[in-house]
Amino acid sequence: MGTQGFSPRTRNDAQLIRFGADAARVQLDGHRYQVPMQIRVDLSTGRGKRASVNGAPLRGAEQLRSEVATLVFTPDRLSVVKGGPIVRRAYFDRALGRLSPARAALPSEYTAAVSQRNAALRRVAAGFSSRDAVEPWTAQIVALGAELVAARREALARLAPPFAERAGELGLPEAELRYTGEPPSREALEARLERDLERGVTSLGPHLDDIAISAGARDLRSFGSQGEQRLAVLALLLAEAELIAERSGAAPLLLLDDVLSELDPARREILARHVVQLGQTLVTATDASFLPGEPAQLIEIRDGKVV
Amino acid sequence: MLSPSVDNLVAQLTRLPGIGTRTAQRLAFHLLRVPKDEALALAAAIVEVKERVRFCRECGNLTEEEVCAICLDARRDHSVICVVEQPADLLSLERTAEFRGLYHVLGGSLSPLDGVEPEHLRIDELLARVERNGVQEVVLATNPNMTGEATASYLADRLRGRVRVTRLASGLPVGGDLEYADEITLGRALAGRREM
Repeated sequence: MGTQGFSPRTRNDAQLIRFGADAARVQLDGHRYQVPMQIRVDLSTGRGKRASVNGAPLRGAEQLRSEVATLVFTPDRLSVVKGGPIVRRAYFDRALGRLSPARAALPSEYTAAVSQRNAALRRVAAGFSSRDAVEPWTAQIVALGAELVAARREALARLAPPFAERAGELGLPEAELRYTGEPPSREALEARLERDLERGVTSLGPHLDDIAISAGARDLRSFGSQGEQRLAVLALLLAEAELIAERSGAAPLLLLDDVLSELDPARREILARHVVQLGQTLVTATDASFLPGEPAQLIEIRDGKVV
Repeated sequence: MLSPSVDNLVAQLTRLPGIGTRTAQRLAFHLLRVPKDEALALAAAIVEVKERVRFCRECGNLTEEEVCAICLDARRDHSVICVVEQPADLLSLERTAEFRGLYHVLGGSLSPLDGVEPEHLRIDELLARVERNGVQEVVLATNPNMTGEATASYLADRLRGRVRVTRLASGLPVGGDLEYADEITLGRALAGRREM
């Protein structure tokens, strides 16, 4: 909440306020580039959410995302590897936004163009308008689709080498990220027009593409063990963290929730080594003995209270 | 439940864009409080505007005559047409006093989600004007958002080969600080940088 403007657990901010209370505050005191920084997010049931950095209010809490880069691992992140293509597209599009902020709006712009084209298709099919009406949106899909595919491929090309390296160290050799999809051409879209009109949806374009995450010749989505899938997600996270650190000069904050329980001691150690190099990391675990080495600070929570 | 006529006024005001029930109630109470003349002046202004104002036959701008003052002005450059979405956009461009050509008001931008398609905009009229009047250049000044860009590229496709087609540049606001520009605008400005 303090670094993203929203909770990774729920988008319903009211759930974050303690039972019986009508307001909550998240306050973070820290340093950015050695400069003291205070972030404050106020939640209240009546007045919504307000965020400020060093006392200066932000236009919206979501602006915090560009203030402090944060990468989160939660056990349900495994779905990036084992879930459907839609989960992977969403994940890599967010990564794309973090790696090249100028293009952060590209995925949503493309999605809007697809919705417009689908609406046009359905209107034509229902007899409300002529086929002419689909044309401008086919042109937008071609233009924005090409931009989006290029941006995604570029982001993958940057992520792939550190991903393979970290995955290798964690015991997942020959790991690869591969984009499966081509930019939609006008000819291909026009060839499918009849079918698209019948179904009322655009059946070609990067909104249907996928990113194959594999090790050796095996697609980890179908043929990876739960452990391998977890290693792939961690390798992705570390790879992105390194790229962000390299680009911005400040390492992102890593929040690793319950990441240690299914890793063997050797892998825990490898993870710890990288995490220490990167910068500040918060790790939760059900047992302090899971932690490899000595953490800089150990906070024990029992029955919801810090002890 | 107030009185049927107040309820009706509130309901009518709520239909205006950007007016919710509360604002509509506040406006209605305000109208009840002010002197009768003042309230009737508003009613008369609405009646007058609906009776007298119409769209220019040539460009689609608002006018009280058949053809608007801009289209009739012989001192303006009749070989350049600037295409905008709404009359309000035309006013913004006029305030610059930099553009001396004519305008063409489309009446919106393409958006099938809102039921707006090429035949709902004054596109055929634009093509006819370009054919008829010896136009040299069409400046596309639709909004730099998703639907505005789609409209611009659609128009560009239709006009290409017949006339010079240009598009307003996108980039940084003048007098602003780079520090406060968002990444997307700044990225666009960087992509559209020019030689000096």
